[in-house]
Amino acid sequence: MTLPAVLVLFLFTLGPALYAFFLSLFSWSLLNKMHYVGLSNFAFIFASHLFWTAVWNTASFAFIVVPTQTLVALFIAVLLNQNLPARGFLRLAFFFPAVSSSAVISIIFMWIYNKFGILNGLLAVVGIHGPNWLANPLFALKSIMIMNIWTTSGYFMVVFLSGLQAIPQNIYDAAEMDGANSWQRFSRITVPLLKPTTFFVVIMGVIGTLQMFDQSFILSGGTGGPLHSTTTLVLLIYQYIFSYGKVGYGAAVTVILFAFTMIATLIVNRWLGKSIEY
Amino acid sequence: MTQNNTLTRKAVVSRISRSVYFLILMGGALVMFVPFAWSLSTSLKPLSESLAYPPVWIPHIFDWSNYVKIWHLVPLAQWFANSAIAAVGVTLCNLVFDSMAGYALARLNFKGKRLLFIGVLAMLMVPFQAVMLPVYIILRYLHLLDNYYGLIVPLAVQAVGIFLMRQAFLNLPSDLEDAASIDGAGRFRTFWQLSVPLVVPSLLTLGLISFMLSWNNFLLPLLVANRQHLWTVPLGVVMFQQEYFVNWPYLMAAAVMTTVPVAVIFLVFQKWFVRGIATTGFR
Repeated sequence: MTLPAVLVLFLFTLGPALYAFFLSLFSWSLLNKMHYVGLSNFAFIFASHLFWTAVWNTASFAFIVVPTQTLVALFIAVLLNQNLPARGFLRLAFFFPAVSSSAVISIIFMWIYNKFGILNGLLAVVGIHGPNWLANPLFALKSIMIMNIWTTSGYFMVVFLSGLQAIPQNIYDAAEMDGANSWQRFSRITVPLLKPTTFFVVIMGVIGTLQMFDQSFILSGGTGGPLHSTTTLVLLIYQYIFSYGKVGYGAAVTVILFAFTMIATLIVNRWLGKSIEY
Repeated sequence: MTQNNTLTRKAVVSRISRSVYFLILMGGALVMFVPFAWSLSTSLKPLSESLAYPPVWIPHIFDWSNYVKIWHLVPLAQWFANSAIAAVGVTLCNLVFDSMAGYALARLNFKGKRLLFIGVLAMLMVPFQAVMLPVYIILRYLHLLDNYYGLIVPLAVQAVGIFLMRQAFLNLPSDLEDAASIDGAGRFRTFWQLSVPLVVPSLLTLGLISFMLSWNNFLLPLLVANRQHLWTVPLGVVMFQQEYFVNWPYLMAAAVMTTVPVAVIFLVFQKWFVRGIATTGFR
């Protein structure tokens, strides 16, 4: 009964992961004959400036986006968990971007970030002369970060909301009886009891941001520009196959990306994963 | 007296703080709404007005012609059909395969079951983007590039779907099935005729997750569909942008038309989306 599922999962998830290790030891352009080169693909990658730029871009993307989206999501969820009018509507409004297509959202933001777009139009009202966001290496990646936070916060908000609703109300009532103010109730009850949810949100955030591709690809027209400022590791993998025809290099970056993801997950696990007992 | 005073003070404070919360949330909702509203507004403008600076919020006249012209300019109908074929295929495959695997992991006893389950959990952690390169090469070997199968097969089984269905089957009381097997029903019959109808809510959630996964996917069609007649809507819109990048009204009309089906599905089934997140934590 599990056979079809196991077959497909093996063919398109586990198998590829193993296959990447194998391919990273070969030199191959998809068209010529493969030949074994040992670890020299890795030597090339580690000596390549472009690779380190991609590592820097991917890491800073994760470092800024994950904490911000987690805090924004938690903030909105806590507010939404109050007894407020139009809760259903508000939840819907925050969640909707997360179910829309990343391609469509990227196109919409490309238009918003345009030099003569609505963002600069709004900034002009308060007297700020906005840059050409996506064509400026200083701002391009930051623009994608903002877009990404805008898209995913609402999704993680719903995750937090379901975590919040699992906390029994009588704990809050008891704390209030004992004279705890609302900040104390938040920091002493909500935050510790939400830890499993926070763990999940951070892990999914880390995994998601380290694999960022669609937004960079679309907003930079596939180049990772300007000046490689939006080249992420996955975009680099894509370019190694489709622009440079270097399967071995791409596979080596894939293997390195696995390692990074694993290390990041372990760190998060160390930090948030332990004390789930309460 | 004093107690009465503190009580009313408390009520006033709570009322004020709730209004502040509400205003913050409405502000946030506006931030979520503006990009979509702006794309709708742009889609209703002639090109010249769309490029006006400072930007015009509401078009002088609502010009719907962009919505008509774009169907002639690009094979949008074909792209919508491709997206629909791929999404329906992915959804059906996941409903069948994930629930079979989930059932086996929940109910059957076989050698290596624990290992298999750990394997499924591990695969939750491998996103598609990470294995893009090997997947592309495997698809090439299997001759799945440039055809519909290539858009469906790689997404035909999701670890998260197996996980979701396993939970659903675990929650069923097992004496029901025992009764059926005593009455002489085989495993497959018990599964199809007794257990599956009882987990319809989970199947609906799974169906929605799978449909959205395929409908919104950009990377898989980018890898698989080289020829334009196989593009899906998201890929087509992006490729169209690279060709007609100055004509924002067309692009925004395409963006609106891609978003509307998602919005309708989302509005109708929002309860199930939220349920899906609550049980698995995944979209």
